[in-house]
Amino acid sequence: MPGDPLPLVPWAGTRQSATEFKSDQEVRWCPGCGDYAVLAAVQGFLPELGLARENIVFVSGIGCSSRFPYYMNTYGMHSIHGRAPAIATGLATSRTDLSVWVVTGDGDALSIGGNHLIHALRRNVNLKILLFNNRIYGLTKGQYSPTSETGKITRSTPMGSLETPFNPASLAIGAEATFIARTLDSDRHHLVDVLRQAAVHQGTALVEIYQNCNIFNDGAFAVLKDKRSAQEAVIRLEHGKPIRFGHAGGKGVIRDTATGRLRVVPVTAGNEADVLVHDAHETDPGTAFALSRLADPHTLHHTPIGVLRQVERPDYDTQMAGQLDAAVERDGKGDLAALLAGTDTWTVKE
Amino acid sequence: MTYVIAQPCIDVKDKACIEECPVDCIYEGPRKMYIQPDECVDCGACEPVCPVEAVFYQDDLPADWADYLGVERDFFATVGAPGGASSQPPLETDHPAVAGEPQRTASS
Repeated sequence: MPGDPLPLVPWAGTRQSATEFKSDQEVRWCPGCGDYAVLAAVQGFLPELGLARENIVFVSGIGCSSRFPYYMNTYGMHSIHGRAPAIATGLATSRTDLSVWVVTGDGDALSIGGNHLIHALRRNVNLKILLFNNRIYGLTKGQYSPTSETGKITRSTPMGSLETPFNPASLAIGAEATFIARTLDSDRHHLVDVLRQAAVHQGTALVEIYQNCNIFNDGAFAVLKDKRSAQEAVIRLEHGKPIRFGHAGGKGVIRDTATGRLRVVPVTAGNEADVLVHDAHETDPGTAFALSRLADPHTLHHTPIGVLRQVERPDYDTQMAGQLDAAVERDGKGDLAALLAGTDTWTVKE
Repeated sequence: MTYVIAQPCIDVKDKACIEECPVDCIYEGPRKMYIQPDECVDCGACEPVCPVEAVFYQDDLPADWADYLGVERDFFATVGAPGGASSQPPLETDHPAVAGEPQRTASS
């Protein structure tokens, strides 16, 4: 197909529906969990891509969100705690005809799996990582997670957490990620819009989804979801548009020329021209990093959502396939069986 | 798939379900609450909180109220998918099948 952003993944050839992406498994999350909304959005959106279902894979680690592959009528793997990016890396690099998705959470991706996550991001493997961030360990019944706020009182921190939380988007920028977005579980329109952009990105896309755990951390993002407060709390980033929000776009983000910091200010005729225009494609990550941590960590006011950063960089799988092709061309096709059954010593030649 | 609000809601409209719904897909009609089937994500939060047990998963609808799946689908065929009930005023009319139900009194 001309202009096809995923040229290596086969097309379904027929019009698909969300029903085709639903498996026969009973969905077992707590009633009211935000995961249901993400699942419905993903199942509703995938038919748009038109890819063959047998060429789509969902790989998860451990946690509530990691039940996701059971409910997708695609290939999938409920894998090892924190290791989904590693398994998915192997899959994506050896099978470039697959669309590979990772489903993980703030515990799985940022605690036990932190190492795998950052290395997948810097390698820029063709993975789409959905990070469900509910700021709590839900599966194990409510202990603080790497994104829980300092002072969080949980069963494992009765006097309040002493830890400074990770900001997943900031972490991803530091790990050289080429696509970073943030969205909300309950805002289906926004969530799908972000997934659409992530799906066609060449390389690793990290989508942080603020997800409500209504049992152990209910209302963690309520200020961003309540329509009365969201107008002043949420900043919707759109590439190429001035970063304005609030009633009638009355507030905007400008760069303080003295300190270089980003600041939220009321927009006036005098400063309208100074309002920052969002450039997701800017190669320098400085502004995206500043945007990723613009929100007040206590109130979540001024939380930017949308695609923070989307830059081009050669992806790992295509380059690795290129090296393999070059090696075969130069030295001929190797014989793995001969190697395994061969001698125990080799002569290294200059 | 979707959850459905059946006959027991008529003239009751307790609205406990609205507080629970994470995706804001339960809309208010003059006599009954309605779940938008395309916006419902099947999470089931509404079902246990209903004080009159009016909410059912579509496959679990009692035979007497099996029509209510069609009632909600028909209802939203004209209303559409507004994308969130809290930003909408209550709907002005009920589905004809709901409007035609006898008025529930305190004793009935």
